[in-house]
Amino acid sequence: MNAGKINSRIMIDFTHRQSAHCESGVAANLLTYNGIKISEAMAFGIGGGLFFGYLPFIRINHLPLITYRAAAGKILQQIAAIPGVTMVRKTFRDQARAMDELDRALAASIPVGLQTGVFWLPYFPMALRFHFNAHNLVVYGKEGHDYLISDPVFPEPVRCPTEDLQRARFASGALAPKGKMYYLAQVPDEFDRASFIVQGIQYVCKMMLGSPFPLIGVKGINFLAGRLEKWPCRLGNEKADLHLGHVVRMQEEIGTGGGGFRFMYGAFLQECADELQDDFLRDSASSLTLTGDAWRQFAGMAARICKNRLQPEDTYPAMAGIIRHCGEMEKQIFRDLHTWVNEQQ
Amino acid sequence: MDHPPEKDVTEGLATVSYSVNSDGAYELVSGPGWQPVNVVNAQAWREIEKEISVAEDKVHSGRASCLQYYMTANQMDVGLLARYTGQPRWRIRLHLMPFFFSKLAPDAIRKYAELFQVTSEDLKNGRLKPPVYERRKD
Repeated sequence: MNAGKINSRIMIDFTHRQSAHCESGVAANLLTYNGIKISEAMAFGIGGGLFFGYLPFIRINHLPLITYRAAAGKILQQIAAIPGVTMVRKTFRDQARAMDELDRALAASIPVGLQTGVFWLPYFPMALRFHFNAHNLVVYGKEGHDYLISDPVFPEPVRCPTEDLQRARFASGALAPKGKMYYLAQVPDEFDRASFIVQGIQYVCKMMLGSPFPLIGVKGINFLAGRLEKWPCRLGNEKADLHLGHVVRMQEEIGTGGGGFRFMYGAFLQECADELQDDFLRDSASSLTLTGDAWRQFAGMAARICKNRLQPEDTYPAMAGIIRHCGEMEKQIFRDLHTWVNEQQ
Repeated sequence: MDHPPEKDVTEGLATVSYSVNSDGAYELVSGPGWQPVNVVNAQAWREIEKEISVAEDKVHSGRASCLQYYMTANQMDVGLLARYTGQPRWRIRLHLMPFFFSKLAPDAIRKYAELFQVTSEDLKNGRLKPPVYERRKD
């Protein structure tokens, strides 16, 4: 369709910043490009990224879904809902149209966010190429047949051939992106962080404490502990270890440092403390660091069990104990934060 | 078939993560993946490789068509393969049997070949090539 443009080169002056998590990274980089300087942790917090959910009725490779963060797309959705922000979001049926639309946006010098399936991205490390369809990245240019991509979890910008990017945009299965693309069309001149910070924290408190469902938030953490304890006798040792490995894998999506996003949220709280000159938030950040450490301790124990290098104290009940302890600590943290939120209003 | 040995999950890709420095302040630090995660990822891959070798055996002993291998090696199941190729599941199940697979029309073969990034000849001759993610690494 646009054969004439094949050899052209478009390169938007987009600043690539490596991030720990793809969605918050894309959100922060796009906002920063549009003149709202914001860190990844701040985007994660304002977007209400922290969460816990144990959903055994949704299966990934026959294993229960466990998530330590908000559903894919939630952070972007929250950012798009900020008054004055206009985010254009489109999905497509027709693959050729989806690629044309991307080219048109690039030609108009707009960096475009895409949802993709990592299985089809050739620049990804082989061992991470699972059928995971909610990976976010920004396309900031095109050279000949290759798209120039700022993939937030990579240290440097990368390239991806057209046909591979097209496959990745139209990956099938759970969370299928359907060619989803998005960009910021408008941002407000004044960005009142304080109120968005409070809103973001309020949202996370609500998810962690207020859900009526026993599988979500702190209740979900305790539920997982109860289930995990019984895995060896319910599933047999081999399957129990597989389930356990899966929990740890979800806890450490790329770059969370093993704390299941607790460290990133801690970084957010700390930044808020500086921004709002509020020592309470600084203390909350420290407490959250402790829960992150406890999650890591659990993961370390789990890894020893999976590797069959266990020490005497590494048992399923011991791990359930650590998880319950995490739940207890997080309950306290988010109760206190909730009180803080009410004081702000 | 040769499968490469287990590697570090990120193959040397330096990811970043948040951690607290000696002053108690959070920093974004770059470094190789965290150890426990390599362990559990390797565990997940061992599981996948086990499934792949079962599929290979089935193909070699003539109990399944080479589609069984390609599906498993690319970490798909019947449902996902059905969605990718726009066919009902029962048809995929038929194609997993050598008898029906050998009678497939060229168009049907090409659909699979494009998906798995091999040639139609590979599929027709039952050549087992590595999955998508082990090629195209250049």
